[in-house]
Amino acid sequence: MTKTDAKIGVYVCQCGTNISGKVDVSAVVEFAKTLSGVAVAREYRFMCSDPGQALVEEDIANDLVDRVVVASCSPLMHESTFRAACERKGLSGYRFTMANIREHCSWVTVGPEDATDKAKALVAGAVRRAGCLEKLERRTVPVRPETLVVGAGIAGIQAALDIADAGHKVYLVEKQSSIGGQMAKFDKTFPTLDCSACILTPKMVQVGRHPNVELLTDASIESVNGYVGNFKVSVKQKSRFVDTAKCTGCGECTAVCPVETPHQFEEGLSRRKAIYRNFPQAVPGSFLIDHPETAPCQAACPIGQDVQGYLALTAEGKLDEAHALIRRTSALPAVCGRVCYHPCESSCKRSAVDDPVAVRHVKRFVLDNSPVPSDLLRPAARTGKLVAIVGSGPAGLAAAHSLALRGHDVMVYERAEQLGGMLRLGIPAYRLPREVLDADIDVIRQLGVSFKTGVDIDGVGLDRLREQYDAVYLATGAHKPAASRVKNDKAQGVVHGIEMLRRANLGEEIDLGPRVAVIGGGNTAIDAARTALRLGASDVRIIYRRSREQMPADDEEVAALEAEGIGIEFLTAPIAVRSKNGRMVGLKLQKMELGEPDDSGRRRPVPVAGSEYVVGFDTALMAIGQKPDTEYAGSRGFTLTRWGTFEINETNCSTNVMGVFAGGDAVRGPASVVEAMGDGQRAAIAIDNMLSGRQLNDGLSAPAKSPEPISEEERLTIRLSNKPRRRIRMPELDPDTRTGSFREVECGYNAALALVEASRCLSCGVCARCRECAKVCQAKAIDYDMADTVREVEVGSVILSTGFKTFDAKRIARYGFGRMPDVLTGLQFERMNSASGATGGHIRTSKGKTPNAVGIIHCVGSRDRNFNNYCSRVCCMYALKFAHLIKEKTGAEVYNFYVDMRCFGKGYEEFYQRLLSEDVRFVRGRVAEVSDFPLNEQEKNRLVIRVEDTLVGDVRRIPVDMVVLASALESQADSSKIGRLFNVSVGKDGFFMEKHPKLAPVSTATDGIYVAGACQSPKDIPDTVAQASAAAAQALSMIGKGHIEIEAAISEIDPERCAGCKVCNELCAFSAISFDLESGISAINEALCKGCGTCAAGCPSAAITARHYTDKQILAEIEGVLNDLSA
Amino acid sequence: MTFQPRIVGFLCNWCSYTGADLAGMARSKYASNIRIIPVMCSGRVDPSFVIKAFAEGADGVLISGCHPGDCHYHNGNIAAMRRAPMLGRLLEDYGIDQQRFRLEWISASEGERFATVVNEMTERIRQLGPCRPGGERTERGGELPEVAAKLQKEAS
Repeated sequence: MTKTDAKIGVYVCQCGTNISGKVDVSAVVEFAKTLSGVAVAREYRFMCSDPGQALVEEDIANDLVDRVVVASCSPLMHESTFRAACERKGLSGYRFTMANIREHCSWVTVGPEDATDKAKALVAGAVRRAGCLEKLERRTVPVRPETLVVGAGIAGIQAALDIADAGHKVYLVEKQSSIGGQMAKFDKTFPTLDCSACILTPKMVQVGRHPNVELLTDASIESVNGYVGNFKVSVKQKSRFVDTAKCTGCGECTAVCPVETPHQFEEGLSRRKAIYRNFPQAVPGSFLIDHPETAPCQAACPIGQDVQGYLALTAEGKLDEAHALIRRTSALPAVCGRVCYHPCESSCKRSAVDDPVAVRHVKRFVLDNSPVPSDLLRPAARTGKLVAIVGSGPAGLAAAHSLALRGHDVMVYERAEQLGGMLRLGIPAYRLPREVLDADIDVIRQLGVSFKTGVDIDGVGLDRLREQYDAVYLATGAHKPAASRVKNDKAQGVVHGIEMLRRANLGEEIDLGPRVAVIGGGNTAIDAARTALRLGASDVRIIYRRSREQMPADDEEVAALEAEGIGIEFLTAPIAVRSKNGRMVGLKLQKMELGEPDDSGRRRPVPVAGSEYVVGFDTALMAIGQKPDTEYAGSRGFTLTRWGTFEINETNCSTNVMGVFAGGDAVRGPASVVEAMGDGQRAAIAIDNMLSGRQLNDGLSAPAKSPEPISEEERLTIRLSNKPRRRIRMPELDPDTRTGSFREVECGYNAALALVEASRCLSCGVCARCRECAKVCQAKAIDYDMADTVREVEVGSVILSTGFKTFDAKRIARYGFGRMPDVLTGLQFERMNSASGATGGHIRTSKGKTPNAVGIIHCVGSRDRNFNNYCSRVCCMYALKFAHLIKEKTGAEVYNFYVDMRCFGKGYEEFYQRLLSEDVRFVRGRVAEVSDFPLNEQEKNRLVIRVEDTLVGDVRRIPVDMVVLASALESQADSSKIGRLFNVSVGKDGFFMEKHPKLAPVSTATDGIYVAGACQSPKDIPDTVAQASAAAAQALSMIGKGHIEIEAAISEIDPERCAGCKVCNELCAFSAISFDLESGISAINEALCKGCGTCAAGCPSAAITARHYTDKQILAEIEGVLNDLSA
Repeated sequence: MTFQPRIVGFLCNWCSYTGADLAGMARSKYASNIRIIPVMCSGRVDPSFVIKAFAEGADGVLISGCHPGDCHYHNGNIAAMRRAPMLGRLLEDYGIDQQRFRLEWISASEGERFATVVNEMTERIRQLGPCRPGGERTERGGELPEVAAKLQKEAS
């Protein structure tokens, strides 16, 4: 049909005086009549009224018009009204268009002439567009009968019950661990003073037990796909670590839990345990374990020790339990308690406050002061499999321990005459007493591990082991000293540090002479130097070629060394040994400076020319590194790295030779005790997997990268929320006398020190994984390995009822919240009043006294241009409720500081009148500040409220004992994220935007998504419940209809014009366009297309038509708005 | 009489059109010079629509969509954003001052902002005077034939 054939009807609405008050409606009608294609032009007072619609319907019925233009309000308001009118008379709704001359014209324009001109232009555009409109067919799709309700406060509960009672399935998703939302925290409700719990609890129970409601708590929305009637939503449920089906709610677990954390449900007024439930009537009633993440100490530990767990147990004095927990994962705990380099402490978040917790010292205390638990010495049933371990250092022993616990028969071969590897040969007794090492090895022996000492395994020996055993673990360490580049280093008096340590540790007599130089900067150098001192040397000096910052030795070791009077020459390197008759007499040294960074990332030391000098020494101990001795393996086909270490699979520690695994220093080169133990433990799991016929990698993941450092922001939060309490120093022997013997330098904590130190733990992971609760849970409901789950639900409609959060009163610093303990928020005061709350319903100051006067400050964060412009609607009323409760419970004087009293609801004004008669004081004025600075005797030890009483016209100081802040209701912090997921806009205050503030208060711009409750705007309980029922009714009406019409205004591709360039494929955010390889062109999937038209604008061949917004229609409208008026 | 520019505004249905409605509901008064044409998404605005508007005598063109990240269609506004600089260049080639074309993000809750944008734009274009396609001094040249010659030279 060409434009001239069209019979266009133009209907201009006066909208009472809304339009006609500004726009000369008659002139617009006369103008419309002059436009090409216009058959009829009329005006009417209210086009949306029945008679108004009848005008349109009659003209269609009389065949006067076949396209309709209504010039009135926004199409968002009445497009559907007039479309329906057209369709009632058989005219396609797509042959109708609107000109918005109210919101976009009469309401926003000052001059009547300007408004009339603008209205004419808009009508002209609409008429041109109408001439090009085409008939479109809407598709009908079935609607799924299930509904998703997001947020289980009173709104969500009400909506879910309404729909479920009608016989339809509801998924009720709640972020918290129990339902009820904010209302569950309230004590009484205004104005009737009903007990909140009494009216809410039955509903919570009802919804929890309803056969049509599936409750998903601890849940969040991951993604939303699909369209009205057919949404696919994926919901992630955080693990509770407690099986809700098994938990009987007995609460035995909380009694034994050693971890306490602020109780969020009680608004921080009390503390709760790590295993908890919000309140006794919680739905679901099962307990849960609060464990958001693995504590950083445990994550950093190569053997995954439950650090937080044994600290928590120790702090409670449960040493036996702590000991048992430590031995669950550690083969050599007493050793680690002495010599571990404690990566746990390096990652400890307490360092943000003061110092890291002295984890190692506490562990040593536990091990020294409690017996080895007997029940750990019962390995699982024997498997009959044989495993050979070569090397009895930490890697070998850890592997032996783990394998023995798994029921395998383990034989450990050791080259030396005594067990322990580097633990015995490398670490001096003043750090690790021999009886401590022996005791740990004894425990391993008691697990059934056999040892053979004095056996050197060579290539042939290795072949034999492979024949005789089901698996072999090579943990032969790194004992071979690295070669030095110092000239003349074969002179007598030049000894390898590690060699000297070995001999000293085996008790051999060594004469080093009085002057000893130790070359190197690692722990071996430190050990060698301190041992030399103890062997009688008088002048021991360390010579290190780099600077202090680059020294690999542990800081504590260096500190101990310096305390013992050993000096370190930094940036100094030996170049030659001076000798006389083959016997060393001194060292030629050279100064160094730092140059460019090398492979290790450290700045390379560069010699300073001409800085050579000579110093006299009797002995030089070379501690410049060790290498593994792997010649025995090289001949047997093992792949070795260029450093001579074994090349292994990082995840399962297997070598390239079948059935042989390797770890410890033989793989890493010289490293630490606990890293070697971690290797041993990892290999044991892989070996067990192999022997049990599982995949090698079962239960193993690639070794963790070093953890992220604590962010500055988190540091600040930690620092502000914890009081400093410095780390307790380890008592040590006097440095002046201790160097005379190999007595242990560190003396260990006593019980008092250990318990106090352990209690410094911040419980970063909340649940410490101490496993005490599982011991007492008779229902066996606790599962520490429970994982988060994600499930997909398919629903036809969604109700968002995500509620509100309260304004953070700390933002108004002058009210002192967070600084003065007797300044409370409204929610805190609710909990204080609740019989099940922190004070059992008694109103008490922080000193436990009943207040004599209480001030309630209204509009905290509301009606304040610094924070929120809006009125939070409920504060006046709950402030009155508080006033009543205070009067009733304490008889205290109550002051309400208000701006305006807003008591608009049913029975609200009456409640206000009642309070006035109860002798509550009302002071009109915004409070300036709450201060604890007294100006007279009367104000001493009280809070003083300074306020301008605007009715009296004077500034007053009013002393009170407690202040309650009526804080604003704000949108949830994640409301825009939720909005984006569901395609719902949020207003500038973060509340969800309804489709129309008056006429579609629970619908949103996205069909099938409804809003209810305070997530839409602040509102009280009656309004919330009413809105929830309204949203449920909307969802039910769609379910009842069973199907829904889908917008026909989507895009299509003309196959004749498509060039197959695929530009559109990339542009489509809904993957609705796909390229067909066979035909070489793209096509649009109608079910997926949302009709945005972005593809149409991007198509270089103009092959895509965005229906109802075609190029032709829009171009015509452009012509209309610009030209018809002037023509 | 002061010059009354004619401005065409392509507003996305979800954010900016609703934002303009909100300005109306709040009775914010702003210059009457804008003629609003709704599109489903700012990504629907074909560069040719803008050219067409200038060709039909518009003195300014506004495209307004949802804020990045808030697009009802996920990223249609991003497409609009990526086309805008190219379109600006094209306008200059046609001898139309780029300042006559503006891309804005106005959400459904920013009624006040919509009014401000329209007022600002009207004032700006009032200063620039009536649009004479091909006849404005632009960065890339002056008269249209000149530009064409320049382009040809660049190409050869």
